[in-house]
Amino acid sequence: MDAREEAVLSVENLKVAFDTDLGQAEILRGLSYRLQKGKVLAVVGESGCGKTLHALSILKLLPPGGKISQGRILFKGKDILSLPPEELRQLRGGKISMIFQDPMTSLNPIRTIGKQLTETILAHRKMSKLRAQAKALSLLKQVGIANARERIKQYPFEFSGGQRQRIMIAMALCLHPEILIADEPTTALDVTIQAQILKLIKKLQAKNEMAAIFITHNLAIVADVADEVLVLYGGYCVEKAPVQALFASPLHPYTQGLLGSLVSVNKKQEKLPAIEGYPPVAGQELPGCPFAPRCPRATQQCLAQLPALQENNGHAVRCWHWEKKV
Amino acid sequence: MIRYILRRLLLLPLVVLGVTFLLFLLTQRLSPEMRASLYIKDPRQMGAMEEVIRKYGLRDHVFKQYGRWLGQTIKGDLGYSHSANMPVAQAIKEYLPATIQLACATILLVLFFGIWLGTLSAVKKDKWQDIAVRLFSVGGFSLPIFVLGLLLLMVFYGKLGWFAPGGYSVMTDITIHGASFHHYTGFLLIDALLNGNMRVFLDVLRHLFLPAVTLCIGSFALMVRVMRSSMLEELNKDYVRTARAKGLPETAVIYRHGGKNAVIPVITLASIQFIRLLGGTVIVETIFDYPGIGRFGVTAAQQLDIAGIMGFSLMVAVLFVLGNLLCDILYTAVDPRIKLSE
Repeated sequence: MDAREEAVLSVENLKVAFDTDLGQAEILRGLSYRLQKGKVLAVVGESGCGKTLHALSILKLLPPGGKISQGRILFKGKDILSLPPEELRQLRGGKISMIFQDPMTSLNPIRTIGKQLTETILAHRKMSKLRAQAKALSLLKQVGIANARERIKQYPFEFSGGQRQRIMIAMALCLHPEILIADEPTTALDVTIQAQILKLIKKLQAKNEMAAIFITHNLAIVADVADEVLVLYGGYCVEKAPVQALFASPLHPYTQGLLGSLVSVNKKQEKLPAIEGYPPVAGQELPGCPFAPRCPRATQQCLAQLPALQENNGHAVRCWHWEKKV
Repeated sequence: MIRYILRRLLLLPLVVLGVTFLLFLLTQRLSPEMRASLYIKDPRQMGAMEEVIRKYGLRDHVFKQYGRWLGQTIKGDLGYSHSANMPVAQAIKEYLPATIQLACATILLVLFFGIWLGTLSAVKKDKWQDIAVRLFSVGGFSLPIFVLGLLLLMVFYGKLGWFAPGGYSVMTDITIHGASFHHYTGFLLIDALLNGNMRVFLDVLRHLFLPAVTLCIGSFALMVRVMRSSMLEELNKDYVRTARAKGLPETAVIYRHGGKNAVIPVITLASIQFIRLLGGTVIVETIFDYPGIGRFGVTAAQQLDIAGIMGFSLMVAVLFVLGNLLCDILYTAVDPRIKLSE
């Protein structure tokens, strides 16, 4: 119980299902973790593994057709899923805020960025419009928008992708939230801009002592920013460990495959390393381990029975054969 | 922007020339004798036909005749309308403001209900509110306008006596033709306010209400549809999710963010409907005995009042160009990405 009280966010057995033509498909199949104050959790996985849906669930922003079928999400001990609408609204943006994947479409195209920033502030704080504007201005400077005084009156289409993501960051951080969720914040950006944006988020995260959840499929980012890593596969958490432990000794064959497929400039390689096969179709029911069809160690047991998440010294893995070496 | 407006205004004479010349060509399908006979009221004057033809140059080349009409028109003389028994220019001056008033009232109602109900329908998609709105708007759309108009007239004038047909009551008629009532704009609603006469204002409004409601019910279904689908599209966009994620109240998310974006196609539709209303509210004007320009146009056409027809078409062409220009300017007010430069 102690640990749960310390955690700013604790997700317990979260299951998310989607309505499809073939009936309900379970995308997220029981995710649990705890996020401590000031720590950064990275959630890693392939597309379709449920990582974005998990993030949207935290703010109850699932798209139509999706619903949380089971589980609890506790923010400082209070269940977000059963909050009344007004408290949920105050939580969104105020206590937990989110940066989205695509800055090109995530801002309202016909509203000046100044208005989009100040309305966020005014939705949560009682202050004059002028003070909110001044605050918006200083935020824009903080995230490195030059000429903020003029640019605050401009529309999103007058900014580049990297600048828009900076504006999204300013918007997400303007109320000093306790948790920041960044859903692939750099995927849509150029590689050179990616590093700048990451550095910015990391800097502001550390300065404000925020907890953060980074959703990504980019392991380089993980190594850079995370304290703890959670690897998702087929809707299950397959491995969870502190970042050094994970990179030093990955236990799950999927994680090992992921790390193995990192390309190094120094090593000469004939062929790009990759994990053979394809991830399971979202919602597909498998009795055993979701990774078994692609796993080099898979046995009959793996195909028939889902292994439990076992924890050893803070390193958790969901595999029958994690102690074996390949 | 100003350069754009000027360029569009330069187009105006071209459109007007095209429309009026085509119409003029059509009138030439009638032989000079047929056109001359329009001036002759009394069978005993039949002998004077040749004289009439010569006097008005009805046998001249079509360009020459058109040129003569154009010359007069530029001087401000649109000819005499025998169907309205007054000069065409005066007829337009008298009837057009009433129709513009009616069109404005209608389009305001259509916009209000279209945007409101369309939004409601989109937000409550597939719930009972959505189904009710769709049934109601399609119902209004499929009801013939003369049935609807007569029905409203029967209930609200015949049974309840709340509203009345005509443009204004006898009392108002006396007031506005009195010496102390100044006609600043020709628009009775505005003039009544400028004169500080609330009684006239309310009276005109009372007479405006039923025809405006009839026209509104007949045409707002389309607006609801456009607003609904546009709103549904916007509400699924990423920026709406952002607006929710930053903790804005749901009404701000829907109206300030989704609604403002969704209203862009509505502007196009509204301006088309508005222009159509200016020239084509004949049925409603007839049912409610409303003194508008539509009736003038139709009567002119029925009675082969060539001067009336030409004047009416000229007016519609001008309004059409101006209406479209207004629509373009409105776009820039709503959507900053649209710039009227080239």
